[in-house]
Amino acid sequence: MIHYIGHRLLQLIPLLIAISIIAFVIIQLPPGDYLTTYINQLELSGTKVSESAIVALERQYGLDKPMYQQYFIWMKNILLHGDFGRSFSWNEPVSKVIGERLVLTMVISIFTLIVTWLIAIPIGIYSAVRQYSVLDYIFSFIGFIGLAVPNFLIALVIVYFVFDTTGIAITGLFSPEYADAPWSFAKVLDLLQRIWVPVLIIATAGTAGLIRTMRGMLLDELSKQYVVTARAKGVAEKKLLFKYPVRVAVNPLISTIGWTLPTIISGEAIVSIVLNLPTTGPVLLDAFRTQDMYLAGSFILILSILTVIGTLLSDILLAWVDPRIRFGGVEE
Amino acid sequence: MKKSMLLIFMLSFLVAIMMTACSNNEEAAGDGTENSQSEGGDSNDSQGEGSKITDVSEITEFHQAPMFDELDLPAVTERLPNVPKLTNEMPEDVLDYEIGQYGGTLNTVTAQVDWDADFFVVNNEPLLNTPGILGEEITPNILEDFEMSDDQKEFTFYLREGLHWSDGEPVTMEDFRFAIEDVIFNEEITPIVPTWLKSAGDASKDPFEFEVIDDWTFKMTFSEPYGGFPMQLAITNWRGYADLLKPAHYLKEYHKEYADPDELQAMLDEEGYDEDQWVSLFGDYDITEREFNQPKSQGFPVLNPWMTKEISDTYYLFERNPYYFKVDAAGNQLPYIDEVRSNIVQDSEMIGLKVIAGEIDLSRENSALPKMPLYKENEEKGGYIAHTADMHLTPSDIFFNLTYEDDVWREVVQDKRFRQAVNHAINREEIIDSIYYGFAEPSTWVDSTFDVDKANQLLDEMGMERGSDGYRLGPDGKRFTVPFEIAPFAPDFQPLAELLVEYLGEVGIHATTKTLDQALWSERDAANQLQASIMWTHTVAWYMNDFGQARWGKLWNEWWNSNGEKGEEPPEDVKEFYQILNRVNVSTVDEALQAVEELKQNMNDNVWQFIHIENVKQPVVLNAELGNVTADAMAIGVNFSGEQWFYKK
Repeated sequence: MIHYIGHRLLQLIPLLIAISIIAFVIIQLPPGDYLTTYINQLELSGTKVSESAIVALERQYGLDKPMYQQYFIWMKNILLHGDFGRSFSWNEPVSKVIGERLVLTMVISIFTLIVTWLIAIPIGIYSAVRQYSVLDYIFSFIGFIGLAVPNFLIALVIVYFVFDTTGIAITGLFSPEYADAPWSFAKVLDLLQRIWVPVLIIATAGTAGLIRTMRGMLLDELSKQYVVTARAKGVAEKKLLFKYPVRVAVNPLISTIGWTLPTIISGEAIVSIVLNLPTTGPVLLDAFRTQDMYLAGSFILILSILTVIGTLLSDILLAWVDPRIRFGGVEE
Repeated sequence: MKKSMLLIFMLSFLVAIMMTACSNNEEAAGDGTENSQSEGGDSNDSQGEGSKITDVSEITEFHQAPMFDELDLPAVTERLPNVPKLTNEMPEDVLDYEIGQYGGTLNTVTAQVDWDADFFVVNNEPLLNTPGILGEEITPNILEDFEMSDDQKEFTFYLREGLHWSDGEPVTMEDFRFAIEDVIFNEEITPIVPTWLKSAGDASKDPFEFEVIDDWTFKMTFSEPYGGFPMQLAITNWRGYADLLKPAHYLKEYHKEYADPDELQAMLDEEGYDEDQWVSLFGDYDITEREFNQPKSQGFPVLNPWMTKEISDTYYLFERNPYYFKVDAAGNQLPYIDEVRSNIVQDSEMIGLKVIAGEIDLSRENSALPKMPLYKENEEKGGYIAHTADMHLTPSDIFFNLTYEDDVWREVVQDKRFRQAVNHAINREEIIDSIYYGFAEPSTWVDSTFDVDKANQLLDEMGMERGSDGYRLGPDGKRFTVPFEIAPFAPDFQPLAELLVEYLGEVGIHATTKTLDQALWSERDAANQLQASIMWTHTVAWYMNDFGQARWGKLWNEWWNSNGEKGEEPPEDVKEFYQILNRVNVSTVDEALQAVEELKQNMNDNVWQFIHIENVKQPVVLNAELGNVTADAMAIGVNFSGEQWFYKK
């Protein structure tokens, strides 16, 4: 097992180097750079940007160097100092820009994940065990709507509905009186009151998808011979269900950890924009639009690393949970 | 019925008078100790609201905001300069100044992390001023006075004696000297001295010479006449004071020539800068007027009404500057409003929602006429008023890039008759009614008559015959197409482009429209790759020197600005346009206004671009309780006068 993990870790190195190069190059592919956007913004407001300012800015941002040099400087600083460079538009180190928003983003994502699982797993199991019952149809119907309607649309509708009926703009994670208050118990309570809106909205799609997967997996298992045998031998229905088929049906949850990890920190960009949440999502989107290259590049790099690590983790977990995979690997 | 109404009216009037009188007395009592030093000696508070004080020397008592009473600060008279500025930032005939009361928070909103245009305009302080930003006269501001020599080469500036930075340090000539000699003339920080600081605003000429006369006076000398220089200091580029005046005591710590090398190195390390990047570090800490929404602005000494207090992911909080130099006629130190909160949202659509929910007290930059019905519908519920003020721009000028790299295109659009034909094909009335709800007029910058026959006649004259599909052919015998590429910078661009495609089609010109992302549009614009598009120009705010010339003649403009090093040499008639433009730039106010008229005539003759409408209104959303506001002015001028706003309750 250790040999296997070590082997997988070594494989990661060239992969990560390739990812970092691709990330850096893609961001710079569109014509122009951050300065073009910045200068244009100033000029549209009636400000002439002098030649001198442009030269000074280019030098300050290091944009006067060729691309490969920019890449090597960036990589060197990451590897030697853990420094991801500076964000142009925030005028702060990238780590600070992302770091400040990471906590809230992770809180929302983890909440969402838990809610998704809490809702989806029981319903999935119920739908499989009581296949074609009335409730199964209802859950399937709701599930398909959740899958089909984009999250941001649900968010828009809710924002409109709340504004139209109460006159309150549900934006942000805090009510105005707590927005600039220091952290306190009351503020946490305030956050907990409001966090449900984004959590439920973001959870809809995930929940719907997961219900379908759980139901399908479990239906496969339930019709297998060992279940029939166990039932014939008189194993209690509940024990039978949870000890064997459910454990197997949960496998997809583990194998998708590879994608779950990056989503925890990436923040649902469009929902965050609609609901005005200060998560990392809108920052990333904006970084792409303005070619804030170190911010965008570092973001992609971090997300890629998390995906890669997540995949590794789920492989290991799967092997640990599911003997079939473990033994399959040994034979080879 | 009538009688009872009258009675109620009289009663409420009485109550109002009593209340203002009370609050006045309270203020006077609160600051009793501080008044003894004021210039005119002892006098009672009798001249409150009623009598008109027009000269600051008539003010005998000065008052401060209650929030300073508990703080350990020097007396208000010591904090104010010897001669404070008695303010009305709007022209007298537009706004009757009311003495306000202290308190409250002003909420603004922006979708950009490092830039809040509304707050910037509210907070900005130039060295000189032009009331209502009209550009008609120049008044003192941070500088108490200035003189121009007869040959328009020598400018003597007088600083307000006893002016202080927001941290309590006095403003001295060293601050001017530092900003000029150690920043503008430091080649590491400023590789090329900006054009506006060179003689006659000409890139090829020498920069100014700076001379300190005494503790409160300095002189700037140019080698060529530059009568437009005071306007440059007052409003051009929305300039604040920071180009020529910086807090030297604060910034020397970050300047290589003054800083302790070890400390500087330590700071560079901490910020993750290389050894040779002290300029970047200096730039981070040198907060100019446009950089208040940046983290390092905390603690930076300023002369503006508000200074940075608190910073977070979702807002910037600014509090009043205890050393601010403006007062009202009752001797109250401005600003009236305690704090400004600049709220950051993730997307510009969110701004509209916050506005109609009544969470925002000032929104100008992101307000748009097409949203007016929405604002009006929620006005009462949101407790705000959506004023329609004048716009400092013509919001949707249509341009053809006359220097786009395509010979056929150039041959056609550089022909004046083609542009005149297009000009006559535009139906202004319909545009004004359908897109601007009637809040605009046909422009006088060009001939605004809608005349399809004349347009057709001009095009026929040019020899642009119609092909088999009814569309006119270019000189190459192929169908001539005008491809509009629009970015949604403003909500009126797209509908206008669609109308234009129709109008051009009416006279047989094939046109298409395509919407690009804003960033992509900017790239293409910078690379001279746009052929036809729509963008606003600062035709009303003439001192901004923006008549679209950077877009309708991209390469010509580059040539002119680089002294012929870049771009393409313009033809004679375009040079004539630039010569007039230059006079607008460098002349004194009266001459400049005259030159603007000439420029208008030139535009009328040549139709360089299509300024199709003018006198357009711009919505300004303001809290209904704000006093000292008027909509009878330029919207951005209203925005400029935030220090004199106050909450009526």
